[in-house]
Amino acid sequence: MAVHRLSLNPSSYKTRFTQRFLRALMKINKNKNRSSTSSSFQEIRRGRRRIKIAADGSMASAVGSKRAWSRAMLYKLRTRTRHQAWVRKISTAAKRKRDVGNKPEEELSRTDDLRRLVPGGEAMDFCSLLEETAHYIKCLTTQAHVMQSIADFYST
Amino acid sequence: MDPSSLINEGSFPSANASSYSLAEIWPFPLNCGGGVSESGGVLELRRSHLGQNLDGVAETTRKGNGIRDVSVDESTLTEHSGRSAGVGRKRRDAASEDESSKLVSTSSGNDQNGCNGKRLEISGSRDENSDPKAEVEASLGVGNKSAEKSIQPSEPPKQDFIHVRARRGQATDSHSLAERARREKISERMKILQDLVPGCNKIIGKALVLDEIINYIQSLQRQVEFLSMKLEAVNSRMDPSNEGFPSKDFGAQTFDTAGLAFGSQATREYGQGSPPEWLHMQVGGGFERAT
Repeated sequence: MAVHRLSLNPSSYKTRFTQRFLRALMKINKNKNRSSTSSSFQEIRRGRRRIKIAADGSMASAVGSKRAWSRAMLYKLRTRTRHQAWVRKISTAAKRKRDVGNKPEEELSRTDDLRRLVPGGEAMDFCSLLEETAHYIKCLTTQAHVMQSIADFYST
Repeated sequence: MDPSSLINEGSFPSANASSYSLAEIWPFPLNCGGGVSESGGVLELRRSHLGQNLDGVAETTRKGNGIRDVSVDESTLTEHSGRSAGVGRKRRDAASEDESSKLVSTSSGNDQNGCNGKRLEISGSRDENSDPKAEVEASLGVGNKSAEKSIQPSEPPKQDFIHVRARRGQATDSHSLAERARREKISERMKILQDLVPGCNKIIGKALVLDEIINYIQSLQRQVEFLSMKLEAVNSRMDPSNEGFPSKDFGAQTFDTAGLAFGSQATREYGQGSPPEWLHMQVGGGFERAT
């Protein structure tokens, strides 16, 4: 496990993520100021979505392509619109399948939930799913921390 | 040192040489060394008996015999001095973790499992019939198989092998060994996850732990959603002339504030960062979860 901990070196990951995220925020801000600013609900939603995508993208690119979940996340963000349609199709198909199969095992459904939460988890076996989950949790915690401190910094 | 070339000479000192090579590879005190040499001697008698039958056999089968010799050596060792030999081997395995990384090993853990199964097989067949011909056939089969896998059978097994040692009464075929190794890997990773997710240490039961992990990830993702909304509101208010702010200092500052709580004892911040009601409604109603 020492290797994993080295590969995640939290401080360097955190600074990388922060730099990327701040750059993305500035870019978003510039684009928005150039376009017409309207405070409709749709506009707010779109802006929020954009920031979420920026946060996710900078998180995944700060990790790099050495992790399965970051690879999956980058791929998802790159092919966003296509992926959303695909996910909708897949999820409905899975629901249908589950209705037909009707497996009462709760652990199986929990594993499926976990697979849906971790990006790219649909194609992993259970062992690597757990490993990727651990790394993903670490990175999510860092992301939340950094975003929280950025928000605090701007709001004060 | 290739043990097969030594054994091929077919004389008595070869057994000593093989045991010597064993001692060389495992440079720790062997308290069952006498047992090894003794059983080696017994085996050597048998080998010289067999050697007449094996004169015209090809080189690979000779290699195989060399391997088989050593493996039978070990099996007889465990048979002879049952408990102490097992302990000694375990200790040797535990101590040879470092050497196993240094040595160039051609066999993986699965191969070792297979070898273990075969070892048991050999010992069983040897008990049943002491007919040398049948023994030769068995050794030929096993030797050909294991000669492809590993030239050096006496090298210390890998780290995976230590964990999957079958206790008395447990199945020893390769499938159940692999399954056991997989289960241990999973439980180890579960332990890591339990350390990572706060408040998950006291929970017993895989399903509950998984539940807690799922809840934690969901809460983190929800928190990121909420923070992105907050940042959106802040970002629109932000002055565009403020672009050139020192991001380096800023990064250091965030690092200072957030660096303390990062790690295994991270606080459960989805409790702290509870959004106000109107935001909560928007998060819950208006948007789908971004997963």
